[in-house]
Amino acid sequence: MTLLSDYPPRDPGLPTPAPAYRPPTPQQPPTKGTTMSDAARTRHALSVLVENNPGVLARVSVLFARRNFNIDHLVVGPTEDNKVSRMTIVVNVNAEQLHKVTSQLDKLVEVIHIEELEDADAIRSKLWQINDNGPRPVGAMAAAAF
Amino acid sequence: MTATHISDGATATAPGDTGGRSTGTTRRTGAEALVATLERLGVEHVFGLPGGAVLPLYDALYGAKVRHILVRHEQGAGHAAQGYAAATGRVGVCLATSGPGATNLVTSLADANMDSVPMVAITGNVASTAMGSDAFQEADIRSISMPVTKHSFLVTNPDEIAATVASAFHIASTGRPGPVLVDVTKDALVALADETLLQLPMPGYRTPTSPAPEAVRDAVELMLTHRRPVLYVGGGCLRANAAEQVLQLAEITGFPVVTTLMARGVFPDSHPQHMGMPGMHGSVSGVATLQKSDLIISLGARFDDRVTGAKHTFAPDATIVHADIDAAEIGKNFPTAVGLVGDARGTIGQLLTEWTRRTAAGAAPQHEAWVRRCRSWKERYPLGYDTPSDGALAPQLVIERLGALSGPDTVFAAGVGQHQMWASQFITYDQPRRWLNSGGLGTMGYAVPAAMGAKVGRPEATVWAIDGDGCFQMTNQELATCSVEGIPIKVAIINNAALGMVKQWQALFYSERFSHSQLPSMQVPDFATLATAYGCVGLRCDRAEDVDATIERAMEVDDQPVVVDFRVSQDAMVWPMVAAGTSNDDVQHARDVRPDFGEDE
Repeated sequence: MTLLSDYPPRDPGLPTPAPAYRPPTPQQPPTKGTTMSDAARTRHALSVLVENNPGVLARVSVLFARRNFNIDHLVVGPTEDNKVSRMTIVVNVNAEQLHKVTSQLDKLVEVIHIEELEDADAIRSKLWQINDNGPRPVGAMAAAAF
Repeated sequence: MTATHISDGATATAPGDTGGRSTGTTRRTGAEALVATLERLGVEHVFGLPGGAVLPLYDALYGAKVRHILVRHEQGAGHAAQGYAAATGRVGVCLATSGPGATNLVTSLADANMDSVPMVAITGNVASTAMGSDAFQEADIRSISMPVTKHSFLVTNPDEIAATVASAFHIASTGRPGPVLVDVTKDALVALADETLLQLPMPGYRTPTSPAPEAVRDAVELMLTHRRPVLYVGGGCLRANAAEQVLQLAEITGFPVVTTLMARGVFPDSHPQHMGMPGMHGSVSGVATLQKSDLIISLGARFDDRVTGAKHTFAPDATIVHADIDAAEIGKNFPTAVGLVGDARGTIGQLLTEWTRRTAAGAAPQHEAWVRRCRSWKERYPLGYDTPSDGALAPQLVIERLGALSGPDTVFAAGVGQHQMWASQFITYDQPRRWLNSGGLGTMGYAVPAAMGAKVGRPEATVWAIDGDGCFQMTNQELATCSVEGIPIKVAIINNAALGMVKQWQALFYSERFSHSQLPSMQVPDFATLATAYGCVGLRCDRAEDVDATIERAMEVDDQPVVVDFRVSQDAMVWPMVAAGTSNDDVQHARDVRPDFGEDE
């Protein structure tokens, strides 16, 4: 086969030097289209009823990770209906972010119902009590903890 | 399921539950039940590639009414299903085996998720008894696909196969469309299935209803009082088949219209109210109409960063009315004055009724000056290109002639990059579902398999894939599928011997340091010979005077796929451009040419 031009192509010679480092220009304070502002975060406790299917916890936590939210606390437990589980999720977000994360959460097929619980801090301290009064770490876990 | 858990009217029993009575007399295997479900749902075409874990399913497909098209790579199956769905509006179906087969589908699932394409992917998995043992070709595709699908199912119980597949089609095609994955274990495919359950209960899945009347009233109030309104039409109008309603709304209100990359064809490009496409490579008038407006009526669009430019400078005066079927889109990127949650078709219908009622009662909109201003931008800054001074073929000319010679019913599928932008700029789309491309995810290699899917779905239409030399080499193996299965697509390779868009960015923003963006595609591979090897007709063209004759020769071939290697200028760039991270106000009509938008009224 005849090549129309040299292959491999000739060495293009020395490239132009890389431009000098420029420090990033300071961002103007965003006024519109703010998605992840740090303003006025508070803790919110969400009570979420989900279908009791394998993988549902992964699906919920993947959604939080994918939308760039962090979960402060998470408790999953059964309800009186064995097809339904209740997740109690504590997140530290502002009102706008809370709206966004709940509307994304509501789109999940396995999420049946979402409501915000009053007084998230009380729930959080109770959850801490459960954590504190739970079984002591043993073995490798204890070594890592102390 | 107790009633207390169901807040808004979802039924506690499955809609198709026959109450334990068997619907069939003979018991079938899970695989047979799956194929029967596909037939019951009216599926005509499936794109797939078999493997160990789906062998029972392929055995059931043998001699079935569903036509199976054997692809050469699972990514091709996924994109073909997307192209099929985008061209016809029906649900595209693809099939793959466990492990690598399933992971090869992930790109197309993510693509379909970004562009809201209704698609069902069915994958086999290892037997449920082997799951978790790192068995041969085992991959947890249900979890892998979680962030890139609308929903994903894992079925281990043969009795649930039929119901799950039916539910997958329901989820994929209702609400905001999207891809749904059904992963079925091999033992479930082999075992005898009870098919009494026809659909899963899914108490958490609710499709949106129509927007609230108060919201419609408020939206129309804003539309009547603002002096610089614009209809920002997005892909949602395409998926909802709302082209007719969009045209009615535009004509009855007289508002200027911009259509996004995903929505091209929903509103005719040749319509005088059409100001072009907004965004990074949109027309100057499209960008300016959106940027200078004081009221944006978004219909099924999502304020993507390629449209808005730097978010904090986007349309500083604009109030936003946002209509979308997905409630989570409203207010996601910008504060919204009025949100209308519902199907685009119905929502526009309600807006039309309310608008007619208000104008009949004497309300008069005042936006003539604004429309004149938008038109002046359109006249002053039309889309255009320079003929290369070195005598090389202009890529824009090739695409322009393709659009002109191929007739109004032609479907164009583009890859991703410069050729995609030129194909959106220099072809006039006057009808919906004639323009297929990967908008959200930007998947190189989309064009050939998507064109294949479109041709299968609409065999009477001419289907052109407009592809780049980089893109083409990612999925050209599907030409073999096209040849063997009798799917005569046409491929125009815009061969500039480079990853053109990468090279353009390097030229503009990286001091012309063309790091790893140049390909020897004028020598290796020889595309015309490659086409012949795949059983296609291979043509080549590198002179402007030969373009028309070459296209006509390609159009004459109707029984074989055709590949045309258009060897074009290596220096052509896509203009206008809003550079990434800058404001729409800084749109450049050509390199370093900033348009003058004139004074505000």
